[in-house]
Amino acid sequence: MSDEKKKLNKDEKKLMREIFWSSFMLEASYNYERQQALGFSIGMWPAIKRYYKNKNDQAEALERHMNIFNTTPHVVTTITGVATALEKEASQNPKFDKNIINNVKIGLMGPFAGIGDSLFWGTIRIIAVGIGLSLAQQGSILGPILFLLLFNVPHMVIRYYGGVVGYKFGTKIMDQANNSGIMQKISKGATIVGLMVIGAMTASMVKLESSLVFNVGGEKIPMQDYLNQIFPLLLPLLYTIFMYYLLKKGMKPTAILLITIVVGIGGSLLGII
Amino acid sequence: MQTALLVGLILAVLWFIEKMLGTPMVIRPIVVSTIIGAVLGDLQTGILVGASLELIFMGFIQVGGAVPPDVLVGAGLGTAFAILSGSGTEAALALALPIALLAQSLKVIVFIVRSWFMDFAMRLAREANIKGLITLNVAGLLLQCAMYFVVGFVAILFGSSAVESFVNNIPKTIMNGLEVAGGLLPAVGFALLLLPMMKKTNILYFLLGFALFAYMELPILGITLFGVVLAFIIVYEMKGKEMDVAVAEGSTNVDDEEDLFDV
Repeated sequence: MSDEKKKLNKDEKKLMREIFWSSFMLEASYNYERQQALGFSIGMWPAIKRYYKNKNDQAEALERHMNIFNTTPHVVTTITGVATALEKEASQNPKFDKNIINNVKIGLMGPFAGIGDSLFWGTIRIIAVGIGLSLAQQGSILGPILFLLLFNVPHMVIRYYGGVVGYKFGTKIMDQANNSGIMQKISKGATIVGLMVIGAMTASMVKLESSLVFNVGGEKIPMQDYLNQIFPLLLPLLYTIFMYYLLKKGMKPTAILLITIVVGIGGSLLGII
Repeated sequence: MQTALLVGLILAVLWFIEKMLGTPMVIRPIVVSTIIGAVLGDLQTGILVGASLELIFMGFIQVGGAVPPDVLVGAGLGTAFAILSGSGTEAALALALPIALLAQSLKVIVFIVRSWFMDFAMRLAREANIKGLITLNVAGLLLQCAMYFVVGFVAILFGSSAVESFVNNIPKTIMNGLEVAGGLLPAVGFALLLLPMMKKTNILYFLLGFALFAYMELPILGITLFGVVLAFIIVYEMKGKEMDVAVAEGSTNVDDEEDLFDV
């Protein structure tokens, strides 16, 4: 534990900044074969050039990091940080099994993609959209500006400090994280917040009202009025759940988009919505 | 001609920024449409169209290897056509989606072409040629930017008059229907977001957020704060129970009551 509490020395701080700046191009050449591998190996260069002075060793390390890689781009520095700590160990300890480096990377990229996607795509972005959108809908330029700021301030902070945390914890990160359940807690907490926000946004943004009118004894009764008294916005909820169900059944997003357009046009032609 | 160049350039530059700066969300409709609007001289429409498109494209995000419809091209060209033809938000909505679906397949082609680059990348890595690797990485990005430039340029140059007459010829009832569909489309986006997150056991949180808005019309930020507080309570609660169980039985199983709220 004492190692982790220890402050980074001057050179290590410089390394952290280099990792931060090298991490941005991760997806520039995203492709099917190796996904983000090219960007990741470039992100490892600050560590590789520091720890390996021999060109053959550098080449070996670069090649090692050209293995297929994929995670949420905003949280990649944490994995780079961990891999950096491992490369440091590998460069100093000839008995160190270098296969461990890739195994740890593979072990990390999945969970980090899960946490990163729900944190950045599912939570931070949704909050930024929710706030930016309410302004943009009134035609305010502050909408898009606020959207970018609300997303990117946490993005930059996490990108930098993620690297520091990854490096400090080094090989031990997953052990410790698993033992104290930090990963599960972050994941669980982010899911709860994310689901509630998505629920609220579904309610505020999906629009579906019935224009059916029943004729009861000469009196006209609009169905929507009754729905509003029992469960306002029931129809948007049901429709969203239905879409979710279709996706769950394996239907393609583009197919249900087309279905939705047909439902919208058809329903409005028939005069029921 | 000049407009076509501008639109093509905006698409290319935005994509360049997006992938050189670690996915800062500058290709989301709320941003793209605003910039297109500003450049084409109708900032107000740009912002409003951006807001509507953002809702529809909310769920279209690249997670993992799957390629979603191309929001950059869809929002960019949809907005440009709507402004150039003088038709409103509905026209942008009607055009953005088919365009995004078309552009999706172009993106797939770029991803395939760049797979071929990887052999070369391996050779550069074996030579420890870091400059070469960075150049190749940027070149792969520029290839995609060039694709976006050509798509934007060609579509506006040849398409805007064709698109204009197409939009003008859409019957009124269909436009109304599209408006209704526009209100419904966010449901698809939210369903896509829910897909990896929601399970039978945690659907209650979704319903809670929904009900807080449906019955009380609380602002989203307020509901978010409730969510954060609730998440803290539940995560800490879980920790206490898990520890008790682990101490008492030496197992990590959680009791049934907890299952309802499992994430």
